[in-house]
Amino acid sequence: MKNLYLPITVDHIARVEGKGGVEIIVGDEGVKEVRINIIEGPRFFEAITIGKKLDEALAVYPRICSFCSAAHKLTALEAAEKALDFTPREEIQALREVLYIGDMIESHALHLYLLVLPDYLGYSNPLKMVEEYKKEIGIALELKNLGSWMMDELGSRAIHQENAVLGGFGKLPGKATLELMKKRLSEALPKAEYTFELFARLEQYREVEGPIIHMAVKPRGDVYGIYGDAISVSDGFEFPSEDYKMHMVERVVEHSFAKHSFYNGEKPFMTGAISRVVNHADKLYGRAKELYESHRDLLRPTNPFANNLAQALELVYFTEKAIDLIDEALAKWPVRPRDEVEIRDGFGVSTTEAPRGILVYALEVKDGRVAYADIITPTAFNLAMMEVHVRMMAEKHYNDDPERLKLLAEMVVRAYDPCISCSVHVARL
Amino acid sequence: MENGKVRIGFYALTSCYGCQLQFAMMDEILQLIPNAEIVCWYMIERDSYEDEPVDIAFIEGSVSTEEEAELVKKIRENAKIVVAVGACATQGGVQSWDQNKSLEELWKAVYGDAKVKFQPKPAKPVEEYIKVDYRLYGCPPEKRDFLYAIGTFLVGSWPEDIDYPVCVECRLKGNSCILIEKGEPCLGPLTRAGCDARCPGFNVACIGCRGAIGYDVAWFDSLAKTFKNKGYTKEEIIERMKIFNGHNPKVEEMVEAAFREVEE
Repeated sequence: MKNLYLPITVDHIARVEGKGGVEIIVGDEGVKEVRINIIEGPRFFEAITIGKKLDEALAVYPRICSFCSAAHKLTALEAAEKALDFTPREEIQALREVLYIGDMIESHALHLYLLVLPDYLGYSNPLKMVEEYKKEIGIALELKNLGSWMMDELGSRAIHQENAVLGGFGKLPGKATLELMKKRLSEALPKAEYTFELFARLEQYREVEGPIIHMAVKPRGDVYGIYGDAISVSDGFEFPSEDYKMHMVERVVEHSFAKHSFYNGEKPFMTGAISRVVNHADKLYGRAKELYESHRDLLRPTNPFANNLAQALELVYFTEKAIDLIDEALAKWPVRPRDEVEIRDGFGVSTTEAPRGILVYALEVKDGRVAYADIITPTAFNLAMMEVHVRMMAEKHYNDDPERLKLLAEMVVRAYDPCISCSVHVARL
Repeated sequence: MENGKVRIGFYALTSCYGCQLQFAMMDEILQLIPNAEIVCWYMIERDSYEDEPVDIAFIEGSVSTEEEAELVKKIRENAKIVVAVGACATQGGVQSWDQNKSLEELWKAVYGDAKVKFQPKPAKPVEEYIKVDYRLYGCPPEKRDFLYAIGTFLVGSWPEDIDYPVCVECRLKGNSCILIEKGEPCLGPLTRAGCDARCPGFNVACIGCRGAIGYDVAWFDSLAKTFKNKGYTKEEIIERMKIFNGHNPKVEEMVEAAFREVEE
């Protein structure tokens, strides 16, 4: 049947990281097709770094993404260190996780306040909210600045950190700086809680309610966190990180420079803050655990919009966890920043939880150079599921005002906090 | 300028969005905003228009698709001042690192035989397509780079380029020299300053993210000689110098020259 309708399109989804669009094609029988077009150009990171010196490749990988450059840096580093059969000291691992948490805090605060909240409050951009929502913008800046400062101190800067290197850090902040970091983190805790309460009041759009397969890295040490060596699936299955290619199968799709991923080759799945909460809420502790218990009905596994609230919950959790990790490092003070790493041949896979979900780095090192690189980012994993949810929204609203449908479709996409820049630069066949 | 408000556009080509993020993260932006009108800035503004006139156009990213090549021409027509922002827009970015691999080769390595309906192009700096009035270097540029540029534009003046290397700032900080004392391949001597020697300050060698100093004063040859004396091969030196200087025609030429001279 010939389609007589104009497609409803958003050429360039605003308030996400990277360039993507949404296309909804409606026919006489309802919604025919929904596509998330990824129009950002390719950057071929894996291909470019093959044959290059390991340390130089490690400096280049974070450039895949600015919102999660620390995530890229630290995941690439771990994959490289696994390939070289090197395990960093516990205190170095703790401080690396603090750096990673700086990224998490900054990224979540930016996403929630600057990218998501304007839709709910009826603004087209967050800067217009300043007059009326002074308190919220103030909190956004404070949390964002805290995350940036943690990355400045431990990573050299907030975007594209160079201070995390093979074997540890180039230089570590002094004890007084780490004490100050603890103090600033505890002062931020009530603001993180305010953020959670604010997002708990927002609408959750039940029209996109349905079963979702969630995947998340199983945290190392059995406490909710970022690093792990296995992936857990919400259907109860669990597999070692090295087997990622068997269970997270990628396909090239025509309308996107980014590939799509499917669980066991057929089912779309979700990854991100809500997936971490769904799969590992039992490993939360502290204030976040209490908030989770009292808001379980809102942190539902069946709705992508719950990802926003899950991020707010993580702001609370990671703020507390960073304090504990700093204490762990301070207990061993003075800490030597770096150990010598012997360069040898090997292969390593690292899976970590970036702000938006599972990030995979698989690196092979030969003669000190990268011989193979496979990088898969959370947004690439999420794209297939994202299309499913945009379709559900479109099916309920295709008869509404097209502007309204466009906004709702964008809001679904934004709830995933997609990192489109990331998604296109990666993934070999 | 209309109603006394400066019209600003922030446009993204292929990039990591880090330059925009750096700009958006500046608290100072709140002081600028009442005096500015954001005409286009997809990262934070839903009501964005790519083909409206602006006073200042900030462009981030390298031109990497046909669509982007068209977009920069449109921006140029509509803008009074065009600013190329960051390593991708000014130097082609890290995606320009390996000029020996063709686009076809890169495509095949990542996508195999699969086709996508958009047309990729080899990554290039914005200046290869349009005239650029000013450049903010760095991956990402420092906040003060933005403040300095906007401040001078707003008073009707023109910012000055930095023509001295990272080493100047590194020595002023009192750091010991990573290159001379530890033998690490620090690119500080040929990289444009302005970062306050950020990485050497953390005991990490400079990888040259602000690009080589302009005006043909970057001494690729003498640094190559120093690296050679530390035991690095010609290929290693060129590779490292090209991480952020993929499109700089001087790198290979001057490193080759340095090695010829040494051999003679």
